[in-house]
Amino acid sequence: MTEIPPTSRTPQAPEQPRSPEPPQALEPPRVPVVLAALDKDDSSSSVLGTGVKFAEIIGAGVEALHAGTSLPATLCMLARRAGVALRRIDGPANRALVAEIVRPEVRAIVVGAGLERSGRHPVGPTTRYVAERSSKFVVIVPVAPKGSEGPLSHLLVPLEGTASSSRPILEALFPLLVTGAEVEVLHVFTQETLPRMLDDPVRDFELIGRELLAKHCPGASRILLRAGPIADRVREACDKGPCGMIVLSWSQVSSGGRARVVRDVLSTSAIPVLLLPVAGDAGRTALPDAASHGAP
Amino acid sequence: MRRAARRAALDDVRVTTDVRYVELSLTARSDSARFAARVLGDQGVTGSLVLVAGDELGSLGGVPGSDATMLVDELVRAVAVSVGDQTGGVASGVQLMGGGQLRLIEILDAQLERRAARRVPGVDDDPRWVVPLPRDPSKVRVTEALGTLANGRVGVRGSAERTGQRASPLFAAAGLYDDRSRLVRGPIWTVANVADDSPQPVVGAVDLRTGVLVRVDAKTGVRSLRFVSSEQLHAMALRAEAFDGALLPGDVLEVPDGGGGRTRRQGGATVASSGSALGTLAVAAREQWAGDADRVTLERLCAWSTGRDGAPAERRAARQLARAASVGFDALLAGQRRAWAQRWRGAEVTIVGGPEAARDELAARFSVFHLLAAASAGGEAAVGARGLTGDAYDGHVFWDADVFVLPALVALRPEAARAMLEYRIRRLPAARAQAAALGRTGARFPWESARDGSDVTPRLVHGPHGEPIPILTGAHEEHIVADVAWAAVRYAEWSGDGAFLEGPGRGLVVETARYWASRIRLDRAGRAHLYGVMGPDEYHEVVDDNAFTNVMARWNLRCAADLLDQVQGPGGGSADPAGSRAGSRAGSRAGSRAGETAAWRDLAARLVDGFVAEQGIYEQFAGYFGLEPLVVSDVARPPVAIDVLLGPERVRASQLIKQADVLMIHHVLPTIPPRGSLERCIDFYEPRTAHGSSLSPAISATLLARAGRPDEALHLFRTAARLDLDDVTGTTAGGLHLAAMGGVWQALAYGFLGVRTDSHRVVVDPHLPSAWRELSMRFRVQGVPVEVRASRDDVIIASSAPLQLAVAGTEIEHRGGAPLVVPVGSPSRAAVKAAKRSPP
Repeated sequence: MTEIPPTSRTPQAPEQPRSPEPPQALEPPRVPVVLAALDKDDSSSSVLGTGVKFAEIIGAGVEALHAGTSLPATLCMLARRAGVALRRIDGPANRALVAEIVRPEVRAIVVGAGLERSGRHPVGPTTRYVAERSSKFVVIVPVAPKGSEGPLSHLLVPLEGTASSSRPILEALFPLLVTGAEVEVLHVFTQETLPRMLDDPVRDFELIGRELLAKHCPGASRILLRAGPIADRVREACDKGPCGMIVLSWSQVSSGGRARVVRDVLSTSAIPVLLLPVAGDAGRTALPDAASHGAP
Repeated sequence: MRRAARRAALDDVRVTTDVRYVELSLTARSDSARFAARVLGDQGVTGSLVLVAGDELGSLGGVPGSDATMLVDELVRAVAVSVGDQTGGVASGVQLMGGGQLRLIEILDAQLERRAARRVPGVDDDPRWVVPLPRDPSKVRVTEALGTLANGRVGVRGSAERTGQRASPLFAAAGLYDDRSRLVRGPIWTVANVADDSPQPVVGAVDLRTGVLVRVDAKTGVRSLRFVSSEQLHAMALRAEAFDGALLPGDVLEVPDGGGGRTRRQGGATVASSGSALGTLAVAAREQWAGDADRVTLERLCAWSTGRDGAPAERRAARQLARAASVGFDALLAGQRRAWAQRWRGAEVTIVGGPEAARDELAARFSVFHLLAAASAGGEAAVGARGLTGDAYDGHVFWDADVFVLPALVALRPEAARAMLEYRIRRLPAARAQAAALGRTGARFPWESARDGSDVTPRLVHGPHGEPIPILTGAHEEHIVADVAWAAVRYAEWSGDGAFLEGPGRGLVVETARYWASRIRLDRAGRAHLYGVMGPDEYHEVVDDNAFTNVMARWNLRCAADLLDQVQGPGGGSADPAGSRAGSRAGSRAGSRAGETAAWRDLAARLVDGFVAEQGIYEQFAGYFGLEPLVVSDVARPPVAIDVLLGPERVRASQLIKQADVLMIHHVLPTIPPRGSLERCIDFYEPRTAHGSSLSPAISATLLARAGRPDEALHLFRTAARLDLDDVTGTTAGGLHLAAMGGVWQALAYGFLGVRTDSHRVVVDPHLPSAWRELSMRFRVQGVPVEVRASRDDVIIASSAPLQLAVAGTEIEHRGGAPLVVPVGSPSRAAVKAAKRSPP
């Protein structure tokens, strides 16, 4: 295994929050880490840049990984320029990455999406393998994400309004946010979830939005309410707003026609998508209802 | 024995017997028990609040003991205790305590000790009257709205004693707005320092019968009871108790953030106020703690007062508190129970059937409860769209008040309906000013009204990306002008207050007619039109000749002309025997008025209404029939906000409508459309109605029932009746939908019971759904308390005064006194008989 020396991006142990319980072990606190999985293709730069930005908003450091027999010079240069340690890992990329994710200090892994001539960003087999097995956050980055300059200041959280899908956001993501990144919730009504009555659409939508936020995402700064195909509305919100990352909770099952929203958003999104597994470390408690954006 | 009694001239003898004796008398113990139950019921003391004690509640030698006759149906939920030996056992539900008289004294002493210790009183946990509140912590704001208590003057939401982040407590006074035309948020007097503030299930319930809210916190064991007095209108009270330090001294009053409020100590009381220079709401509170190391009780008495235009409210609140304190908690609670019992005597709704009917009954009573709490008698009553149950719509007054709430209140509390009209009367100058500002005459009431009657409808809002969204209701939904006039006439006709239209209410009818006269335009053919209006169907925003608006305006013109002609005679001459110059001026004015009324009648005759005689239906507005002929079932299942699904442009280009629009003509002016039009308009418009407004389902239910389709009506009635209980709209957190509640009452009265009035009689024509065996309602009509009970077999009408009736097509003169029984299906006058029942 080859290592690039630690640099300024190498994580430092953050100040631990005060705990009411005495520490159980004398081990030094582990430094939270975001892994950036770099491939040889064009997405590596975007993946690494996104990893750095995402690490900033959750107060983590970044480690770059490359699965292969050697470290390509371009990746080494990329990592050095970004001030990130780069490691080579052995074995098939999918399994090797999953093995890295289980390290306790790892908070998230950033991987790249593919690119078709049509402009869609299909999730390749490795990325899909990792996303479906990761108990941590997975950030999937298109090849040339829109508006990739500047820090990550706005997250768009499409929220369907069930306890299970909002729990990872409330319990796993929010506590990690350290930079005050603004969270904007998008709730898309479908034919099944349409409001049944709107006396005054503007005022009633405001009320419905307030309730959705209070119930499911009290830390968000505002809510957008839309109707129609969810992926289309997500894309529109990204196009019109300052959003730098989409946050979706999902059930990690994409076969058999499931997770249609996640698949649709991933394939069309021009910005990185953060996937929060509802049953992973992100969704720590038992789930009373199975619904999530990934559920059928 | 009965024969022997009859020989002794005791025709209606009561026989009481047990194993030891037989007693023949004019009254029996069961009569006494019923009498006691009725007297207590009149005080709001029912069910488990009543103790039935005796020493022979069990059987003696296999025969029921003499005291068992006290266990009458009226006391079925009473606490029954036998202090006798009762070796033969006691009936189910009777507690056998033994111990004789001394035991009974102990039981009574224990009750007195509870009072002395200021323990939290119980409520009669009657499932027909007690509404359980949602326990889900994520629905905390819905729970708060559903748990609102009000007395028409002030209202407080049913917030927890310790409010969490998700809570939205509100204490507000009717018609008290701040300088941004929002309800003033007054000091919260229901707070208490509960030691554990983690979200936890709380069992809460509103007792509709007595107007109290009870809460039991499952985790901390804190129990509480609160009420807003309906007898002493400025008094409010809270009691709470807890064990093991779960309830601690803390803030007595909480001033809302940003309310410009303050709190201070004054004498032994805490006084707080909030609001703005235009209006402040003050609360004074005094609390007493009692108990020991294990259990503490908190008793808090409060009083409120308002100060408008800078008048000091705090001192008045403190004075009101002294009055409340001199009455004391127990007497205030007794008064509260008494006041609500009295209200229900004139407003009770009873639905008999299976479990679903019981659910319907509770939902109906919930609606009536909040209608009764929405306005009080005397002065003026500004009834906002959500009443005092939440801050949605800022407490603004819409047509909801005039067309949906007032018709119910005029039958349940006519004096409160009168106060609602007083609100409009006092804002006539503002309505005149608005008409003048638009270059018109008369009075133009605004779509949304608050403190001074100026138009407070928002004109523009900004969307999520800052884009401006125009709000067109204020400029175009002008049927409100005629709705106000209609409310005035409805009040006068239903209440029998004939002097109202000749006196204070006249301006509401006449000035609105003047507005229409200046608003209507004639085309080259001489037909009259109302261009650029919005009907109740707000999906089609700006249209010409909306049928409902035009028919209402025409009715308004004719009604005002009739009213003025009644005063001065159709020829315009007014008698002036003195022949003075003043008389001459009056004559001249009368002549001018006669010209005016003639012009109104002419305009009314020319005003198009879209009625297509060949089809028997009204066209909703000019060009409506040319729109895409979509029906709701092609797209979604109603009720549905179909504009969100299809987009406003698509809906605007279609025949899909938000709510009853043409059908509102049949609802508010049932005698105007030609015979047969109701059925045809239902057939045409109901499939096109998305019921995307909370006002809609109850109106359609009313009309379907009237049209003889009660089972279809029941489906929509249930949507309306459960609207807030099930949070159908997702907006109950912002307050309860009072208009829907008024619609629920109207569906019951006008629809299922088929009650209406005309100039000289009360018409009753019931259509019960198959799920209900019986529906009975109490109300007042033309000043007379009435109870109408309808079943499949007969209609029973009880009235203490004479009434001219038409029941299921039969003209009947009811002389008052003994109830009339009219067999349904045999509309023969000979079949009408007097029943041996007490009048209401």
